[in-house]
Amino acid sequence: MQPLVSVSHLVKEYGSGANRFRALNDVSLDIHAGQILVLMGPSGSGKTTLISVLGGILSATSGSVRVDGREIVGMPESQRPALRRDLFGFIFQGFNLFPALTAEENVAIMCKLKHVPQPDRAAANLLESVGLADKRNAYPADLSGGQKQRVAIARALAGQPRILLADEPTAALDSVSGRKVLEILSGLARQDNRAVIIVTHDPRVLEYCDRIVEIEDGRISSDELRRPIPPSPGDIA
Amino acid sequence: MSILAWKNLLHDRVRLIVTLTGIVFALVLITIQFGMFLGFLETAANIVDNNSADLWISAPGIPHVNGGSPIQESKRWKALQVPGVTRTANFAIFFVNWKLPNGAFETCQIAGFDLDSGMGGPWNLVAGRVEDLRGEDTVIIDDLYKTKLGVHNIGETLEINGKRARIVGFTHGIRSFTTAPYVFTSFKNAQNYIPMREHETIFILLRTAPGANLPAIKTRLLATIPGIEIFTHDEILLRTRNYWVFGTGAGTTTLMGAILGLLVGIVVVAQTIYAATIDHLKEFGTLKAMGATNGQIYQVIILQSALAAVMGYVLGISVALAIVRSTADTDLLIKLPWPIALGIFGLTLFMCMSASLLSIRKATTIDPAMVFRG
Repeated sequence: MQPLVSVSHLVKEYGSGANRFRALNDVSLDIHAGQILVLMGPSGSGKTTLISVLGGILSATSGSVRVDGREIVGMPESQRPALRRDLFGFIFQGFNLFPALTAEENVAIMCKLKHVPQPDRAAANLLESVGLADKRNAYPADLSGGQKQRVAIARALAGQPRILLADEPTAALDSVSGRKVLEILSGLARQDNRAVIIVTHDPRVLEYCDRIVEIEDGRISSDELRRPIPPSPGDIA
Repeated sequence: MSILAWKNLLHDRVRLIVTLTGIVFALVLITIQFGMFLGFLETAANIVDNNSADLWISAPGIPHVNGGSPIQESKRWKALQVPGVTRTANFAIFFVNWKLPNGAFETCQIAGFDLDSGMGGPWNLVAGRVEDLRGEDTVIIDDLYKTKLGVHNIGETLEINGKRARIVGFTHGIRSFTTAPYVFTSFKNAQNYIPMREHETIFILLRTAPGANLPAIKTRLLATIPGIEIFTHDEILLRTRNYWVFGTGAGTTTLMGAILGLLVGIVVVAQTIYAATIDHLKEFGTLKAMGATNGQIYQVIILQSALAAVMGYVLGISVALAIVRSTADTDLLIKLPWPIALGIFGLTLFMCMSASLLSIRKATTIDPAMVFRG
């Protein structure tokens, strides 16, 4: 079974000379479609650096990262926006919604960015899929934390990306909202055969995940598979 | 992306008010300072600008049109003999004392012109007739200076340099750059008020045949008439303006005011637009992380600044127009001709876009990983 993301001997260093710091050190990892992978580890361990490199936001120092068959290490900066647009959906701890736009406009702007046909209609459908059809005209300031994160999920889903990268998606949420968000993310992985990669410190996330990868000092210190890798539609056929 | 630019601008009302206030302040400052400078240029030489003479003969080395000294009137007849010259007329501008009803004096400038040729006569007449200046001791003043000169109606009499003068008309909007308003009268009457000997004049104005070669006529005149200086309309206009603009503290101050207004305006707009863009830096980082190209981010930033420029311009030019209108009936002239208003629109767009370009660099060099740092 082909992994959707394949990381091999990945190294990421910051700074130069005496100030050089290795944030990721020889990381190798395969992530499959339909899998919910949780990245855990203490602050400064390299989790955020890893998802930034996986998402084509940061460039790696060496090693290999193949995403959906495309090698992204060494990819020119000019090609990275298209990679991020085509393959990834991003969910941030601080939601990062545009405060001047309504919930629907926040989603629609991503649909437009990803050239989704009928972006306004697509945005309305995505909001409906996260249970926020009645909040489409609300501004972020008028939404609760959980509702904001669901808008952020709907936005991340614009263009049906193969991989969702979520950075502490439940950190700012109460337990009810956090569970709701995790149920949505888990459904997205299983029903739509996506890879969902979550960076978190939140133990509530663990019951929804298929795999837990712990990082310490830039290295993978443990890799626990909790559920078998789901078969992809191609494998079933 | 245009919706983001538009809504980013309108959503935060306080930020919008701050942004527009900055642009409006800068625009009004630039427009008014520049309008005052243009008004200065106009009033400094309006007596030349509105004179239909093709050539001016004066004593040599006059610093400006208001600084002439007497020359012999007989030169006029010599000038008439030069081929190409079709008409000559006497013209005098001279500072005189105007006696106010309370006994105090105001300095004025007599503009004594030839009624038959009309060269150097008043314009924008709103009461009375120029022909009435054929009467003895008759004068026309501008209605903006009625209070300053202590007269209000046609028929009132007063004293100029101790000689009687009677008001026979009013013009509107003929301002003087100096504190001395113009008093129009016939050249014949002017000879009573100006300490000039008989057969003397300050200027001889010439009209030439249509299509005449003015430089050639000037050369012939200089060869024929000794002890004179000859100017074309544009030459005396330029000498007068240069004198008042560059030769006096007032002119330099007005020019510096206009330049400083422009500089301060640019800085205010730059800071305002820069701050408005930087406020949205995190949003641009989010867009970039999610796959927006630098070009798409430029588009949002430039559109945002262009919208701010248009809104700021509409408000700013309205305020400036109101100020210009409020000074219409004062002796301060602020000019805002439509090409300047249009130019200021271009300048506003340029200033806002340039300022946004400064912030574009900041926005497009954002590390997109900042979005993961909360």
